[in-house]
Amino acid sequence: MNTVIPAIQTHALSKIYGNGRGCRDITITVGQGEAFGFLGPNGAGKSTFVKTLVGLVRPSGGEGVLLGHPIGSLEARGRIGYLPELYRYPEWLSGEEVMRMHTGLLGIKSGDAKARIRSGLDEVGIGKRGSDRVKQYSKGMQQRLGLACALLGDPDILFLDEPSSAMDPVGRREVRDLLLELKKRGKTLFLNSHLLEDVEAVCDRMALMLNGDMIRSGSVSDMLKVKVRRRFKVGGFSPVVLDWLIAETGLPINLSHTAEPQDWEEPVWLEAELEDEHQAGRINALIVGQGMTLYETVNEREKLEDWFMDAVAGLDHRGEKR
Amino acid sequence: MNTIIAATWKELLRRKMLLLTAVLTLLFLAVFWYIAGTVALNVPDGTRMLEQFARRSAILSLGFFFGGFVVAFLAIFSSFSVISGEAEQGVLQSVLTRPIPRWKWYVGRWLGYVSLIGAYALLLFVSIVWITGVHAGMTRNYGDLAVSLLLFALMVPVLVSASMLGSSLFSGIGNGVFMTMLYGAGWLGGMVEKVRGVLPVEPDAQQTLSHIGVLLSLAMPADGLNRRMQFILTRGAGETIPFLTGGTPPSNAFVWYAAAFAIFAFGLGLWLFRRKDF
Repeated sequence: MNTVIPAIQTHALSKIYGNGRGCRDITITVGQGEAFGFLGPNGAGKSTFVKTLVGLVRPSGGEGVLLGHPIGSLEARGRIGYLPELYRYPEWLSGEEVMRMHTGLLGIKSGDAKARIRSGLDEVGIGKRGSDRVKQYSKGMQQRLGLACALLGDPDILFLDEPSSAMDPVGRREVRDLLLELKKRGKTLFLNSHLLEDVEAVCDRMALMLNGDMIRSGSVSDMLKVKVRRRFKVGGFSPVVLDWLIAETGLPINLSHTAEPQDWEEPVWLEAELEDEHQAGRINALIVGQGMTLYETVNEREKLEDWFMDAVAGLDHRGEKR
Repeated sequence: MNTIIAATWKELLRRKMLLLTAVLTLLFLAVFWYIAGTVALNVPDGTRMLEQFARRSAILSLGFFFGGFVVAFLAIFSSFSVISGEAEQGVLQSVLTRPIPRWKWYVGRWLGYVSLIGAYALLLFVSIVWITGVHAGMTRNYGDLAVSLLLFALMVPVLVSASMLGSSLFSGIGNGVFMTMLYGAGWLGGMVEKVRGVLPVEPDAQQTLSHIGVLLSLAMPADGLNRRMQFILTRGAGETIPFLTGGTPPSNAFVWYAAAFAIFAFGLGLWLFRRKDF
């Protein structure tokens, strides 16, 4: 990762619309070759922020640069590819003609354009259907075409706003693989997505937007660094043993909420949030050592979706006017 | 910019707007040929010259009554949603993030519309004048013909500039309605002027009607250009068809106003477009 010139750098970048919506005081730095995920519920201001970065929207305050060039400048726009969230291409053109128009806008010479169009359409899985008119494309196909257009100028930074929202599971998987491949090639990815598994699989760092404010940011692994949650199914259990286990290990061990034993003949579930596997092994040994039966243990790692729900839980997160 | 001009032409051709217009224009011209042949008065010995001029004037007025509407509606309906409509559909967002200045996109679209619709206006003008000439003779004053052609073609940049300005301000459909009504207002201004010239009206009312007619024509000068063009082609023929010809024609100053109107609408539209959020 080249950290000399950040791919994206903003300082207190804001865009406030007349109705008070938008995004406020966003300060981020994304290094070259990094994949950055932008999360948030609908109306959080994610797309507004991206539109400000790519020059579609004039900022109300703050500043930003892309690879050292001010956002919105021709130099900055020459280094980016952008897949808008809500977009359509002219229905009266074929996929190839749309691509050809974009090669013209990018100033790609006609000699190179043909090969680039062909490889671009193949890369996103449109292939020979590139000669069909756009009006014959499904939404997923249009999204693939959008992705091909975004990649056309071999951009250093790719802004992708919900890149696979209209695709079927196979298409989503293909897009995810393509993003991973682009990341390998050293492209900087800025991914706005509701598909949390995409962010989790592709991104190095991420931020959470809520009502126009960035409320959290950090590396994906740090933000998901929730302790491993381990469950133990134990027979021959009694409440005295639980106190003893807690005292022996110093770990927060609980009876599962779902377990409501009237007598202690039936097995119960114990839960513990652990730092590592060694702690789990010690609990196993203590349970067996006390003559209880250990039927099974289950490892539960928190997913991004759980993190996301926890982060916005109890907050006003529907983008209502303040 | 060539890419944008070419894309505009392709849009007009692929969406079949020009094709439909061309087919209907051919039908009109066939009917116009018959009408011109019926109305015209050919007097080989040169007698009844004044009546011959009057009939030629009527034929031209009929032709350009249609021609003015067709060119106006073609200019309005091809460009009324060029900004707001494309932004609503999400077409613009992927284009405006490319490394081209916004003014190039705006000017490219404007040139694309004006060049193709202007070429159609040129062909229509030549066709109407030619058919009239075949049946009723035509002026040999090529200066008048050239000026008339320019005035007819000037309708196109006036309308496209106003339509693109409206598209920066209003939604696609809203601008379509606005532009149609604005053109209708300009046309009504001309009609008021003709009514004032034809019907017996009190002097005070004449003054009021004149003010209303002028204001409406100033709001949208496209139809006024058409009327000025017809006046130049038919000057001296006098009133022949009530409400279609006659009345006081717009002045030379009005033509300059129309040119200034087009420049102002174009400039304001471009200024707004460069500052617009998408």
